[in-house]
Amino acid sequence: MFDDLKRIGLEACVLIAFGALFGLALHHQLVLDAFAGRLVAEQRPGQGEPASTALPMPVLIDEVQQTLAAGGLIVDARGPELYAMGHIDGAVSLPLVDIDNQLPGFLGRAAKDQVIITYCSGFGCPDSFDLGVRLIESGYRDVRVFEGGYPEWRDAGLPVAEGAR
Amino acid sequence: MKNAQWALYHVARLALALVFVYAGAVKMQDVVTFAGHVAAYQILPYALNYLVAATLPYIEFLAGLMLLLNVRVRPALVAVCGMTLVFMAALVSVLARGLEIDCGCFDPGGGQDVTAAAALLRDIGLVALMMLVWWLRSRITVRDADPPG
Repeated sequence: MFDDLKRIGLEACVLIAFGALFGLALHHQLVLDAFAGRLVAEQRPGQGEPASTALPMPVLIDEVQQTLAAGGLIVDARGPELYAMGHIDGAVSLPLVDIDNQLPGFLGRAAKDQVIITYCSGFGCPDSFDLGVRLIESGYRDVRVFEGGYPEWRDAGLPVAEGAR
Repeated sequence: MKNAQWALYHVARLALALVFVYAGAVKMQDVVTFAGHVAAYQILPYALNYLVAATLPYIEFLAGLMLLLNVRVRPALVAVCGMTLVFMAALVSVLARGLEIDCGCFDPGGGQDVTAAAALLRDIGLVALMMLVWWLRSRITVRDADPPG
């Protein structure tokens, strides 16, 4: 009976290992990129040919820190409720959902040659990228995207703030 | 009576198999989005979310496939039960922290997934189903000549 259970457990482990190996065989590049911090924004269909100047470039967390320290602008693309619950300390709120109303005010406050880094709720959240595209279309020349977003920043123990802008 | 148990075993096994084959297959379609769902649980460091997203759907699919084909049923049950218990622990942690996230259990793009509490209840049902299949399997194989497993 005990031998039977041991064999079943072992076979279950082999099954899991096979599944994992199969997944890794197909997605090893994604996993390697994730571990090396090399993930870039996915090109979504319908956006046509990517013109290198027209898309925001991805940056890593240390570049966000440097930009913040150097007086660059960090922009939170999430909705106002999420911003109030917690955001990167020093970030300004510019929700993509309300971009048409808020962009004019933003244009008045931020110079076109200012370095801007957008972020939202981390990987799988497209808002920061879409906001970056909108800002470039509006004439901003140096727009980048921090894809790790608020979760990565918070989990790294870096300064966060709460409350509305 | 034996026939009823035999029938119930196969129905329960197939139901379980379809749940995991579907869960695996649908998440394989968009591993990156699934990684985002895993990241939303805020449990793992960032790169590990991708490792989980790259492997978990295939393990689910493979285990479901073995249940479907009625081979190595008990090892497959151990595997799906282990995974489901891990999911339940993650969901309990989400509830305890009061996070409002999509469970990410099935369709990554659909957005029709259920809340953590409902997903937890669903997982309890799945574990009950697994125990039923295990129990019926051992009742049937005592009688049958086919090898256990």
